[in-house]
Amino acid sequence: MGKYSIGEFEEIVLLTVAVLYENAYGIAIKEDIETRLKRSVSVGAMRIALKRLEKKGFLTSEFGEATAVRGGKRKRYFKVTPFGKKALEEAMAARQQLWEAIPSVAFDFKFI
Amino acid sequence: MSNKPTEKPIPSPPRWLLAFLRWFCEPYLLEDVEGDLTELFERRAENSPTRARWLFALDVVKLLRPGIVKNFAFVTTQNNNAMLFNHIKMAIRHGLRYKGYTALNLFGLVVGLTSSILILLWVNDEVEKDQFHVNADRIYQVWRNMYQANGEIITTGSIPGPLGEALANNYPEVHEVTYYSWELELLFRLDENVSYEKGRYVSPEFFSIFSFPFVAGDPASALKDPHSVVISEKLAEKYFGENWKTDALSKMIKIDENQEFTVSGIFKDTGSQSSMTFDFVLPAHEYIARNEWIKSWFNGGFNIYFTVKPGADLAAVQQRIEQEINNNTDHAADERLMVLKATDSYLHSNFKNGVPSGGRVQYVRILTIIAIFLLVISCINFMNLSTARASRRTKEIGVRKVLGAQRRTLGQQFLVESFMITVAAVILSIGFVLLIIPYFNGLTDKQLLLDFTDSRFWIGICALIAATGLLSGSYPALLLPSFKVTNSLKGTIKQSASSIYFRNGLVVFQFALSIILIIGSLVVARQMNFVLNKNLGLDKENLAYLYMPQDLANRRDVYKTELLNIPEVKEVSFASGNPLQYGRSTGSSQWDGKDPNAEIEVNVLMVDLGFLSSMGMEIADGRDFSKDFASDTANYIINEVMADIMGFDEPLGQNLSVWGSKGKVIGIVRNFHMQSLYEPIAPLVVAYNPPYTSVALIRLQNDIPKAITGIEKVTTALSPAFPFQYEFMDTSYAASYRTEMSLSALVNIFAIVSIFISCLGLFGLSSFSADQRSKEIGIRKVHGASVPGLVMLLSRDYARLMIVAFVLAAPVAWYYMQQWLDNFAFRTDLTVTAFLLAGLTAFVVGALTVSVKSYQAAIANPTRTLKDE
Repeated sequence: MGKYSIGEFEEIVLLTVAVLYENAYGIAIKEDIETRLKRSVSVGAMRIALKRLEKKGFLTSEFGEATAVRGGKRKRYFKVTPFGKKALEEAMAARQQLWEAIPSVAFDFKFI
Repeated sequence: MSNKPTEKPIPSPPRWLLAFLRWFCEPYLLEDVEGDLTELFERRAENSPTRARWLFALDVVKLLRPGIVKNFAFVTTQNNNAMLFNHIKMAIRHGLRYKGYTALNLFGLVVGLTSSILILLWVNDEVEKDQFHVNADRIYQVWRNMYQANGEIITTGSIPGPLGEALANNYPEVHEVTYYSWELELLFRLDENVSYEKGRYVSPEFFSIFSFPFVAGDPASALKDPHSVVISEKLAEKYFGENWKTDALSKMIKIDENQEFTVSGIFKDTGSQSSMTFDFVLPAHEYIARNEWIKSWFNGGFNIYFTVKPGADLAAVQQRIEQEINNNTDHAADERLMVLKATDSYLHSNFKNGVPSGGRVQYVRILTIIAIFLLVISCINFMNLSTARASRRTKEIGVRKVLGAQRRTLGQQFLVESFMITVAAVILSIGFVLLIIPYFNGLTDKQLLLDFTDSRFWIGICALIAATGLLSGSYPALLLPSFKVTNSLKGTIKQSASSIYFRNGLVVFQFALSIILIIGSLVVARQMNFVLNKNLGLDKENLAYLYMPQDLANRRDVYKTELLNIPEVKEVSFASGNPLQYGRSTGSSQWDGKDPNAEIEVNVLMVDLGFLSSMGMEIADGRDFSKDFASDTANYIINEVMADIMGFDEPLGQNLSVWGSKGKVIGIVRNFHMQSLYEPIAPLVVAYNPPYTSVALIRLQNDIPKAITGIEKVTTALSPAFPFQYEFMDTSYAASYRTEMSLSALVNIFAIVSIFISCLGLFGLSSFSADQRSKEIGIRKVHGASVPGLVMLLSRDYARLMIVAFVLAAPVAWYYMQQWLDNFAFRTDLTVTAFLLAGLTAFVVGALTVSVKSYQAAIANPTRTLKDE
């Protein structure tokens, strides 16, 4: 796990970026998380997560074209790097492994 | 960027929030974050722009978190936070180490701040007066300038009634007009509840022009019915008991014994924030219907207020209204109208040559200046003490410098110290203000309070802290870090001549300010003394007066006889008003040879027999009215001013007509003051006309309380329906100068406070210098110097400073006090005594302060001071 340290929220953001593929920029990510997971996300929290992910090398970003909306500001589009993909796979694998290790009686709540 | 024209413009988020965001946001993230927020805003704004703006603000605030906020220079370049904590710690340690010095500093600042806060509260209350009206910016009052034959201009707010209709009908700029009458005192009766109440006649529009809040009833329609009355909460409670809120409305109440009025509204008591005061209002149109005189362009009457429509051209109103009276009276006399903002009239109520010339605003200015003076004086204390004691801290400064402290950091240290002391002083002062404020309110006749929920209060307090902290900390922060490292470590700081001069200059400045205040308080006290004891031309001692209700006035002869039967009553006479506050005048008087174009406003006082003698007035020439001359009912007595205006060598026997009734001048009475001493004495005609008299003037002797009980008995026997109310002439006269008296008390107190604070500073300075020179004194003593000689030596420098301060203060004080006295038509002169007394007081108090410490230093045993080294 050590090489790919990733938090829960970071993981969600990273996955969403992958889901949105070509269209992954700030507001789109925020709204996708909000509609899909029914949790509210503040611009600040999301920005920090993106910044960290980029710093860790899971994401790359580049500016798009400027438009008349958004006060003329350009959008920053994010893309998952191969390294990021590996991190996601690792995280999933770790969970998978843990799920499989759970003894079948552990979730058998009938007799408790 | 393609810019397609869209149907409606895209709204943009609040610009200041964007600016804020750009300021704090990490530049790398800025463009994207700003874009995101703007996009969110644009989407939300389609539904509700207001909500979008709020949410935008919320988003911006949420961005204030590490990771988004950029690295500010002060956070990274140095270990500033640590230094700041160190400075605070040093300030606390230093403060505790020198307790006496800290206490002295704090005490001076607290006294100064407490006084300043109190004064500023007072000033704020004055400035806020009448500003609560929603339309305050659009309410105007009409004033009338009467151009007199002698070149004077009399300004009055009493305006001919028809002007109100003219304003409402012929002026498109005018929105609403209201009449506002003189103060009425009418008898209210509801069953057993009877007493006199004060109120006004006003128009139905009154309550939509002025925003007096209503508790019950509808302000818009309350006065439409001519038989309605609107009363204050206070009256409602008084007449209708505890449940007045539900009981009072639509009930009948009898006013002035002859008519029932329906209570149609209840307003909140006018209170201290309004300069207009009344406990009830009656509809003016009801009064106008009954009184023909008010419908004439030739008579003044109501005050008139109006609102202009928003954006209307006031200058046009101003220009048209000026000649309105002259046009309607065919220029019978030159009377011009002007329009002034109504809410300004409280502070600017005096007129000179037809234009406003100050009023209470002068007191507001004086006290603001005093507040600043006191603050400056106490800040100077702080500056002086910290720089004088700098040598105590030279080692600390030296060590800090050696360890790499920059000048700037050292400066910061001293600023932090002064700010900490200031904050502590402000907190203490607020406590003291809370303690003192009830007494201060009693003195100034106000209801001031500290409103902790008011944001302006906190802004004010922060401004006060910033001003005081900077003012007192800036000089030490500049001076102290400039010492040379080598010298300061050796401890041989010789303070430069310029810094000593500066410090002496500050002491001079402090004392000059204190001396100015003392001179001011002496001059004000002298003038007040002059006003209260001036020979007014009549004897106001032991003179009671009361307004006679109609049934008493109808039987005034019986009343007089009955009164004179009381042994303690010496004389009784009747007049048409209080002769010390008289203002019934006419421009219609005629005499032979009067210039027909000249307007001369003449006061007319109607009296019965014996008026002059019972008032103690002096007859300059001729005779008093007498029952031996049947023709005297048509004759007149005039005052000296009137005699001068008529201009005859022999005024006695001349023809004079007033209000069309012809008679002869039979006597001249010495001038007496009919108005305040701010005004010159006006021309007066006294007419013998008992039926028009309404005030009983009763001269008492011997046992005054017994006299009053006797008078009450007689009065209530003759007029059982009316409550007995009387006043003494001298007390009501003194009451009319209440503002001046409370001002004079304030100036007195603050003059004492200022000298006190200055002395605190002087005490600190002199004790410090005595401390520093203890070795010198020891050596001098060993060589045989005497104690008085040493005290002289130590005090001489300060004495010189005091004298310089006096020389500087005297001309300034002379100039301003001259100006203040010029407001009075009757005034004392500035005397040298006041100046000398003030100078001497400051000198003596200062010298005493200095010599306390000097004496202590001089009697100290030289072996103690010389033992080490």
